[in-house]
Amino acid sequence: MSAQASLEDAVQALERRAGDEQLVAARLVARRKPGQWLAAGVVLVIVAAGLYSVLTNPHFQWNVVRYFFFRPSIMLGLLTTIWLTAAVVVVGYAFGIGVAVMRLSRNPVLASVSFAFTWFFRSVPPLVQLLLWSNLGSLYPTIHLGFTTIHTTHAVSDIGAAFIGLTIDVAAFSAEIIRGGLLSVDHGQAEAAKSLGLGKGRIFRRIVLPQAMPAIVPASGNMVIGMLKATAIISVLSAHDLLYSVQLIYSQNYLIIPLLLVATIWYVILTTALSIGQYFVERHYARGRGGRSTPTWWQVARANLRPFGVRREVAVA
Amino acid sequence: MSDTIAPAPEATSQRGTDRALVRIRGLEKHFGLNRVLRGIDLDVPEGSVTVLLGPSGSGKSTLLRCVNHLERPDGGFVEVGGEIIGFRHDGRVLRELPDRAVTRQRARIGMVFQQFNLFPHKTVLENIIEGQLVAGVRRKDAAARGSELLERVGLAGREDSYPRQLSGGQQQRVAIARAVANRPELILFDEPTSALDPEMVGEVLGVMKDLAATGLTMIVVTHEIGFAREVADQVVFLDDGVIAESGPPSDVLTRPRNERARDFLAAVL
Repeated sequence: MSAQASLEDAVQALERRAGDEQLVAARLVARRKPGQWLAAGVVLVIVAAGLYSVLTNPHFQWNVVRYFFFRPSIMLGLLTTIWLTAAVVVVGYAFGIGVAVMRLSRNPVLASVSFAFTWFFRSVPPLVQLLLWSNLGSLYPTIHLGFTTIHTTHAVSDIGAAFIGLTIDVAAFSAEIIRGGLLSVDHGQAEAAKSLGLGKGRIFRRIVLPQAMPAIVPASGNMVIGMLKATAIISVLSAHDLLYSVQLIYSQNYLIIPLLLVATIWYVILTTALSIGQYFVERHYARGRGGRSTPTWWQVARANLRPFGVRREVAVA
Repeated sequence: MSDTIAPAPEATSQRGTDRALVRIRGLEKHFGLNRVLRGIDLDVPEGSVTVLLGPSGSGKSTLLRCVNHLERPDGGFVEVGGEIIGFRHDGRVLRELPDRAVTRQRARIGMVFQQFNLFPHKTVLENIIEGQLVAGVRRKDAAARGSELLERVGLAGREDSYPRQLSGGQQQRVAIARAVANRPELILFDEPTSALDPEMVGEVLGVMKDLAATGLTMIVVTHEIGFAREVADQVVFLDDGVIAESGPPSDVLTRPRNERARDFLAAVL
């Protein structure tokens, strides 16, 4: 009996030792995640149903969309939207940098005026501003500049009013974005630059601003895309932008939905172009951040499009 | 290599001439009601190494930062090479100089920071040559000197690395190369090894020792007593905004007369 017991002990001990080896040799199987597959399936069905409905519902009138998509009058509206956005963003950001620098200045007058500017124009809806600027004539019918007199009703066109209003809006919002970015740069950077004998302007342009850009660019991407869409409000002044150009057509032929789709698709295309541009700008300013090289455009696209399986770690710095 | 900075004197233990490159007189600095510096008088002979010691809050770093006008003094003056830093003597007043003049003065004084403060968006070489480009050196010549300096600090071939790809000790060595690239007549070190992992302290102190041996005038704020003992010509012990004790390291470090200095040395040794 005892001999048998000790034999069993020995066998068990042997099995245990064999067990460790088996464990080491065993293949590791990841946990199954049936819930994920279920969720993905449900979402796919919903998406498919939505797509089917959109493509088969005759009221979308895709043939009408196709017919009007490249009409000259719509192209003209598209052009207005593009250049107005570009002008507003470029001039607005130029002012925004100034406002942000004033706000960070030690001069209390400059800082307070900058604060008041930002506070006021962030509070006024762009649409209200637009209407105010276009009615400037009732406030100041004429402006005397010494050598000449301007009649404001002629001087400020509808597009001009839109440009002024939206530029001020961009200046106020971008000033806050830029100020945040500048504050994110460690003070030691400017000190090190000073100790090397760099002047103020050069420190700002070459040392501080490039390091603030990674904080500024993503928020600015949002801002520019928002502005692209915000230009649509100039249609209330009957300025001939993308939205107004389709409104003109559907007010005559009542093909409202397909023409709104034309505008929608163009807005999506422009926004996509801006997003791609933002990616390249971000990659440029990511130099020296993190040890890894930044992912290529294709890696990012694949990581974002990959519906299933292991999501590889691709960081867009 | 030897022609890049002043030639090494014959005996390194007795470096320095009688001429004071840096003269500090009656220097005061307040932050609000906090009087950080309360009348500092100090001479730093040309070609010598001065180590500033003292408990935290004693004003060492503030004193150093007054030397290149990163802090504006509230009284007294700092003179480097016979020129008052940051001010112009005008009858009965010292008028603060315009930015451009201060910038020009700073270019003659190198500085190395505790947190390295390398420019992270620029490569190692770009970091080193930035100051020379401002001084009007051609990019090609600046880059050649940059590579030579990198070799001297033991980082040959790392020109195109970004600071974040280097260890702390390597970054600080690049920062030292950057600070001397413009051939300054004086270099300030603000606790250059305090942010480093212990195993990297030696490599940075080694580069500083080499630099001292070339006859460059140095003012060093540090807690490395060994470095002070070995390299310093003059040790200055600050306490509560005044110089409590100063002299050659053999005196100040081994036989301090001041009680606070004795306590401090007992604590750090």
